[in-house]
Amino acid sequence: MNSFFRCLTALLLAGLTFTSSAQDLVHKIPSNALAVATIQGKNLTELMSLTEFNNSFLGKELLAKQAKKSGESYTTIEDLGFNLASSFYYFNQSNDSVTYNCFLAPVKNAAQVDKLYTQADQKFSVKGNVRYYYNVDSTEVARWNGEMFLFVIARGKKEYFSKPEVMERFGLTNPYPIADSVAIDSAAAAVDSLAADTIAVEYAEPAAVEMGMQDSVVVDTAEAYSSDPFFKNEDQKKSIVARWTERMVDDFFAGTDKTSILNNNDFVKNIDPKAEATIWVSGVDKLFNTYVPTTYLKGLGFLNGYGSGNVKLYLEDKSIRMTSSMTFSDEIATVFKKVHKRKLNKRFLKYVNEDRMIGYLGYAVDTKAYLEEYPRLMSKIYGSVYADEIGMATDLFSLLLDEEAIGKVVKGDALFIFNGLSQNEVSYKSYEYNEENFESKEVMKTKKETLPDFLMMFSSEDTRLIDKLIAYGVKKEFVKKGSGYYELSIPKSPLALYFTIKDNIVFFGTNKMEMDNIASDRSVAKVSAKNKKMLLSSNYAAYFSAKKLSGKIPSEEFGGAEKLEKTNRVLNALGDIYMNSNPAKGNVLSAQMSMDIPANQPNALKYLLSIIEDAKK
Amino acid sequence: MLSKYKYLFSLFVLLCFSSCFQIIEEINLTDAGSGTVNLTLNLSASKTKVASVMLMDSIQGYKVPSKQTIQKELGEVVAYLKKSPGISNVQKKVDFENYIVSVSFAFKDIANIDNVNQNVLKKLKIKGLNNSSYTYNPKIKFFQRSYQHTKEAIAEYNKLKPEVKKVFKDATYVSIYRFEQPVVLCTNPLAKISKSKKAVMLNTGILGLINGKTDLSNRITITK
Repeated sequence: MNSFFRCLTALLLAGLTFTSSAQDLVHKIPSNALAVATIQGKNLTELMSLTEFNNSFLGKELLAKQAKKSGESYTTIEDLGFNLASSFYYFNQSNDSVTYNCFLAPVKNAAQVDKLYTQADQKFSVKGNVRYYYNVDSTEVARWNGEMFLFVIARGKKEYFSKPEVMERFGLTNPYPIADSVAIDSAAAAVDSLAADTIAVEYAEPAAVEMGMQDSVVVDTAEAYSSDPFFKNEDQKKSIVARWTERMVDDFFAGTDKTSILNNNDFVKNIDPKAEATIWVSGVDKLFNTYVPTTYLKGLGFLNGYGSGNVKLYLEDKSIRMTSSMTFSDEIATVFKKVHKRKLNKRFLKYVNEDRMIGYLGYAVDTKAYLEEYPRLMSKIYGSVYADEIGMATDLFSLLLDEEAIGKVVKGDALFIFNGLSQNEVSYKSYEYNEENFESKEVMKTKKETLPDFLMMFSSEDTRLIDKLIAYGVKKEFVKKGSGYYELSIPKSPLALYFTIKDNIVFFGTNKMEMDNIASDRSVAKVSAKNKKMLLSSNYAAYFSAKKLSGKIPSEEFGGAEKLEKTNRVLNALGDIYMNSNPAKGNVLSAQMSMDIPANQPNALKYLLSIIEDAKK
Repeated sequence: MLSKYKYLFSLFVLLCFSSCFQIIEEINLTDAGSGTVNLTLNLSASKTKVASVMLMDSIQGYKVPSKQTIQKELGEVVAYLKKSPGISNVQKKVDFENYIVSVSFAFKDIANIDNVNQNVLKKLKIKGLNNSSYTYNPKIKFFQRSYQHTKEAIAEYNKLKPEVKKVFKDATYVSIYRFEQPVVLCTNPLAKISKSKKAVMLNTGILGLINGKTDLSNRITITK
């Protein structure tokens, strides 16, 4: 009995491991990948079954497109041959000489993937159970079997091939640089969900050359341009890159690659099984340098001190959430910690009224710390090249600025509240013509103009300078004095600005009544616990309610009731959007963004599809 | 000769970023065939936008003209007109309060204005109006405006960015011809004859001129 239970437990466990990590190709990704993007098919199929997706608006459209392209009927996206319940990956692997953009997808049915190629008139060869596809110069390679599909776009690095010793080694003669390596927008390529299954078809060149054996990869196109040394040289470089690519893909399939990305602690730490999509970058500075040749930067380290980073997307039952985080070097992290010491002035909340408000943007940094740290940041970027000059400039900066005094005038925290749109009447000149002889007469007409309605505030401990500015404005008649507040008139503009100083807070706004209320202590505050927490505990926080904006946009702005109605419908379907930064944890800074989804929607994925469908109507 | 008027391109920049505008062309013709012309560009309905655009140095890659530039360029238009044969009494009026610009002058013979009007309008890049010419025969008292839509107009229009295209949606063009004797017949169905019968007005949208849907051709027979 005991052994029976043991067997059963073992089986169950095996089963569990099998289902959860079945065909997860992550271990195939080499440890030196600079960036990895993941789309977790399993999570997506849990949110929406494939049958549901096939019947959805987007699914139907995708299938119809595929059917049209191939001339065959597709009833389910599973027919594309990929295992949609598993994870899809993009990764970037680079060294000094070449950069590889790789797409890795789990295959469910290789014959169906084959069909995608044959239907697109793309030729591939088969050896054993592995299929090989090459574009015309073999710098784009696809290879697949019953388990996985790998598509690689390789680009040689101009810098590398311009080195004299490299040119000599490969017998390159042409001094002209080759075209910049094409920077593939890794984020876009990876996040574009479900794009992975169409990549092979989209990237394949129509004029593919059938390549049978692995050792005959180098394409001989020399004939075509044999007379032009430039093209000959280019072809030679491409064939070198093609050889490397072939070797890289061979190693990938043979599994001889030394270590997997799963040995990278930072990557493993940032795997969140709950996230639907993740982009992870091993070193932002490293990735940046891959795409921007160091010759352009001339030794300047713009991203010095930036470490690994990641962005994760969560499609949840009640909201869509995106988080991002970035690791910094000790030096930069210390700067951020000092600058982020300040929190938003609590008294700001006395002037926030959620009933009126459509959105806000709040931030708090320490002006004094920022001014003190700024020269240090600059010397970090430019110091390696212009050490002397930067040294003098930073000293001069500190000498001229009294950081403390400025920090008192503008403490560094501010809150911008967007209350919506208002309409003002503006007059303009036009002509009328009498019926008698069409003699023209100038007439004044009026029309409505839409203006933003907002209130802005910032803290100031020392308002003497601002007081002087106001006094100057009043003297020069730009500024009119009201009871406790001022009006700034802007010539010809219907937009009037009101401002006042109270409680060591400087207020700017477009609403006269609101400014009057602030000046005379009649403001009514209303802030939810959620917004209060967001504003007071983050250095950066923003909120926007699309729903509250709907119905407030004047039809004149859209030139048609129908368009306006459509916009209002989309705005109404959008939930409240929140964005905020989190307090620093060690050397990691992180932030998040989320959007609530309406109560009648089962989950975020279905909701997103419904929005797309609605917007298309 | 036309290249001299590239300056007025700057007005076009203002046109582009205003929300609607009006072009008015008035011609008063005597029986003998001489007369006066008044061309007006009215941006008043979008003066707040123009005012804010003029605060900037450039917008979306277009250089925004200053008041001085506009004055100077108009001055050059006036100088050109003064030198043109048969043209006299040239006057300009610029109202920066409402952004209305107008140029007026007298002509000895309608043939004198034939080119002048085109050139001035052409410089405003209102290409749809370019293919026009005027003739007047005092013997039979017959006035004619010939007009032909150019494909170039729509091609130019299609090159514009969508937000600039929007500007033309509400823009209007008004042309008024006044005569000393009553009009017997005018052939353009869009044109109206005044109560006195001595004036003909055509008020239409600029967009129709650009896409060729509106025809400005008119043959007007005047009482002998």
